[in-house]
Amino acid sequence: MSALFGYVRMADGESAERIWLDAPGTHSVSTTRKDELVAAVLELRPRSGARLVLLGAEVGALAEPERLALLGKVGFVPADGGLISSLNGWENVTLPVAYHQPRRIPQLFDEVREVLEDLGGVEDRLLHKLPEEMTLYEKRLTAYVRALLEKPALLLVETAAAGLGPTKRRRTARFAEAYHARCAGGTFVALEE
Amino acid sequence: MFAFYRELEGTAYLAMHAIRRVGMLRVPPVMEEFMRQVYFTGASATGGIVLRGAFIGTLIIAYIIEVLNADAGLAVKMLLWVVLREVGPLIAAVLVIQRSGTAVATELALREISGEIASLRRMRIDPYDYLVVPRVLGIALSNAALTLYVQLIAVGGGMVLSSLIVGVPLDEMLTNFFLLASPLDLIYSLIKSILFGAAIGVVACYHGLHPGGHSINAVPRATIRAVTEALLLVMLLNVVFAYVVYGSAFFGLVTAQQ
Repeated sequence: MSALFGYVRMADGESAERIWLDAPGTHSVSTTRKDELVAAVLELRPRSGARLVLLGAEVGALAEPERLALLGKVGFVPADGGLISSLNGWENVTLPVAYHQPRRIPQLFDEVREVLEDLGGVEDRLLHKLPEEMTLYEKRLTAYVRALLEKPALLLVETAAAGLGPTKRRRTARFAEAYHARCAGGTFVALEE
Repeated sequence: MFAFYRELEGTAYLAMHAIRRVGMLRVPPVMEEFMRQVYFTGASATGGIVLRGAFIGTLIIAYIIEVLNADAGLAVKMLLWVVLREVGPLIAAVLVIQRSGTAVATELALREISGEIASLRRMRIDPYDYLVVPRVLGIALSNAALTLYVQLIAVGGGMVLSSLIVGVPLDEMLTNFFLLASPLDLIYSLIKSILFGAAIGVVACYHGLHPGGHSINAVPRATIRAVTEALLLVMLLNVVFAYVVYGSAFFGLVTAQQ
């Protein structure tokens, strides 16, 4: 099983809901219940009766410290970027790392440059822009760089190409490639409607 | 009634959280938020707030002197009792509610309904640590500084004005002031203004983070509740503080010499 979200018919004829995201590689999950899946994975709380298996761990069997450790390995890029409106691009990109791993702050400038180059480069001004000044693609790109800096073992990316023109759509195709270049052995899940 | 208890519990929890998690200021993004709050409340508005505070303080002294036909001794006592201890901290608190209380409640309510708070949680950033701790501490500290400015200017202005109106030499008023004033007066108002500031921050944060809906209409409602309740809480704290200090526990300790 690689990436699965839905009902599975069991040997006894009953069907049970499974969320199974534990195989390295790039996967695409197409579902109309995207929000439900994201909530279950990010809060590690599947609906009652459902099984949630992430990165080889049966979430229901984990103790609280293990759950917290697992949460630290999961990243998410929402369709609207989920940026903080009062922070500029740079502050948004570096917020989680500066908050959770302040020791990495001195290296962040080089890391951000590297990630942006992997993604095809962007105009320098992006990191000075406030979210309200960014295009939809720039918001997603900023959120994507933010997620990559945390090097998550599992990354959920919500409808990365939706609402973009052909050029930007092609650029979002680099997202998975850039992720695997930074997080070898990681699981990239593209969530589509 | 249930809503009242829920609010009381929520604000008490936020206050305890801000005290317990002071150490979060070591985290760089939290420190940046704290510095922004101090700049917004304590620095960028200083001119306007101090000027308005000084006008109000000076006016109070002018009226007292006019109505009571006060001499230098009484004018100085009024300056000490009314402006330094009571009116100074209250004026600063009211002006901080008017500016920062409204701004914080509106900002947080907008963040809540636009999904930014959820976004912070998804980044494993506790909104209470990242948003509440720096705002409560920043407003408390800034309010103490603003109170000091208001007191200095209101007392200074009051002395100049009363020397002009009553005709008593300024140096005589200054001598009287330094004779009667005690460091405890400043400590008393400093502690009070820190409490007022913290109360304003907690109430504004609570209503901002609990706007009571997800429509844009929830934002002004949250702001109005924050302003109304912050004002009430500041008045209540002032009464409690006055009772504790003058009425029972420290009776006579900070009473000006007769």
